[in-house]
Amino acid sequence: MLRAESIFVRVATLLLFLLAVGLAAETRRVVVYAPKTNYQLDILVRDGVDYLGLTDLLEPLGHVESRLEDNKLKLSFNGGEAEFQDGKRQYRVRANARLDLAANFLLVNGRGYVPVVSVTQLLSRIAVQPAEFHDGSCRLFIGSTKISYSAELRHDPSRLVLSFPAPVKPSTLVEKGRVHLLFHREPVVSSGADKVSYGDSFLLSTSFAEIPGGAEFIATVQQPATVSIGDGGRTVIISPATQPPSAPGTVPAPTASPAAQPHSPVPRPRPFVILDAAHGGSETGSVFSPTLIEKEINLMLARQLQKELESRGISVVLTRVADNPLTGDQRAIAANTSHSSLYIAIHSSASGHGVRVYTSMVPALQPRQTRRSFLPWELAQSPHLDQSRIAASAIAAECAYRGLPVRSSAAPLRPLNNVTIAAVAVEVAPLGASADELAAPEFQQRIAATLATSIASLRGKLGAAQ
Amino acid sequence: MISRKLQYVIAALTVAIFVLCFYLVHLKRKAESMGDEPVPQAMTAPISGPAEEITLYVANDEDASLLPVSVSSAMPLDPGERGRIVIHTLITRYLRNDSPHPLGAGADVHDVYLLDPASAVVNLNAAFADSHRSGVEVEQLTVFSIVRTLKAQFPGLSRVRFLIEGKTRETLAGHIDISGWLDVAMVADASGELK
Repeated sequence: MLRAESIFVRVATLLLFLLAVGLAAETRRVVVYAPKTNYQLDILVRDGVDYLGLTDLLEPLGHVESRLEDNKLKLSFNGGEAEFQDGKRQYRVRANARLDLAANFLLVNGRGYVPVVSVTQLLSRIAVQPAEFHDGSCRLFIGSTKISYSAELRHDPSRLVLSFPAPVKPSTLVEKGRVHLLFHREPVVSSGADKVSYGDSFLLSTSFAEIPGGAEFIATVQQPATVSIGDGGRTVIISPATQPPSAPGTVPAPTASPAAQPHSPVPRPRPFVILDAAHGGSETGSVFSPTLIEKEINLMLARQLQKELESRGISVVLTRVADNPLTGDQRAIAANTSHSSLYIAIHSSASGHGVRVYTSMVPALQPRQTRRSFLPWELAQSPHLDQSRIAASAIAAECAYRGLPVRSSAAPLRPLNNVTIAAVAVEVAPLGASADELAAPEFQQRIAATLATSIASLRGKLGAAQ
Repeated sequence: MISRKLQYVIAALTVAIFVLCFYLVHLKRKAESMGDEPVPQAMTAPISGPAEEITLYVANDEDASLLPVSVSSAMPLDPGERGRIVIHTLITRYLRNDSPHPLGAGADVHDVYLLDPASAVVNLNAAFADSHRSGVEVEQLTVFSIVRTLKAQFPGLSRVRFLIEGKTRETLAGHIDISGWLDVAMVADASGELK
């Protein structure tokens, strides 16, 4: 009996381990910090080698054109050229200089992949930008993007002042005896000494470590502590909870779980995307079951997509973040005044399978009309229809590439007609037979990652918002 | 040794099991035969006129297609009545048990008005909209199917409008906008994209 139990426990442990390994392998990503943007790239593992998509890597950095000729990928980046061959290490850049990758170049479904460890060499040659890859945290720093900090213990009252050359928004976690600052968005790196002992009555020591996708600063304290952020995000102060800092212009930083969204007084950049979770309030949309309602699924998907986009360095706003009703006109006005470049309405359905992408069913601009012509509210989308179609095509292409069933068409669907930026609606349906799949985290993550990748590829292609 | 009393009990139980089995088979057959009964169809006035081939654009949820299907039906001479008959025939098809695009029970069309050769107004009953499934694609297929079926019947048609019980409605079932005129050419283009 005991033997049977022991075997069961071992098998269960092994299965859990394999599951954990599988999940970990599935979610590995490289965070890229570039001078103008931050983004994340999925790692493709082939024959034990980590690879990154070459076009995905370069697109946010400049103008990329690539063409396939047999098993060769010819790439033009910001005027320079490079040539890669499937299954070969050697590649050619500019003036016929030949270089070697750490492993063979890969062509998968028409996309080129290069070994992660060769990315720094590649960027210095193709993009002519110095780059540094931190293996432990899977972070790639392009140009002089790294942020070092200085730490100073001040007295009367005792407090630790961390100074940064650029604004930071760490997630903070205060627990008994420890304060954690998690940097998942900013390229914060070590300032030299990773572990420092202070032996102060408030602060015992600090440590800094790179963690997957970011960095963590830990202060070991002897009293309850609080964290505040000041100087527009350039100063973080850890002080005893009973003695709030008196530095002018500081606001207390909210303590949160590491997964929670950080808040700070740093102003948000202009959003690239406005996400509109369709329905809300008494307007429920489809009711799939008593506990599965379209308005809720849409909001969950919108939040997941927001997370995915922000992890790629794309700024996002949502039309609604709670169960409140909005009319079609209110949604259109929110989109038109958001200064975003792209509006995406999110719907869900139990009918059919996969993803449907819709553009507005309005006529295109007439020959005599221009983008500045005065148009009726019902035709407001007309001047932006081409950009909407570009967005719809990008989403459909990424879905198809990832093996999701996808269809796209025009549809008379509010408020697409009234939106004055590129506008699409996405309707998501389960891949299997059950509508319950719509609420499954794995399904939502898959859909959100697909949409986020396609949206990221639209940066620089949709023009400036009006 | 089993007592005589116990033997009677076992025999009675065996008989009861057989009787219940037969009764179960009977109930199963009855339930199956009930499933074959046609669903209630919308009532319509008898049509006088020669039988004609008409084209219905039938939606299929599985692949989101609209496929032309020819059927024969007695058709009146009045254009509005002809429009009503083709849409009624289309809806009747959707009400079948094996429909590839099911509509709710009781769905029907009241009238089709041809304001001029280019404009048609379709007045549907409340059950049509109230019992319609909610979703962008399913509503789009229904609307496009009706518009394209009318276009096949009236080639000069360029715009179609929908009313529910004689009144304008914002959406068919929460998604597709039916508050204004639909451009027939754009519907044809969009449904071409669907296929």
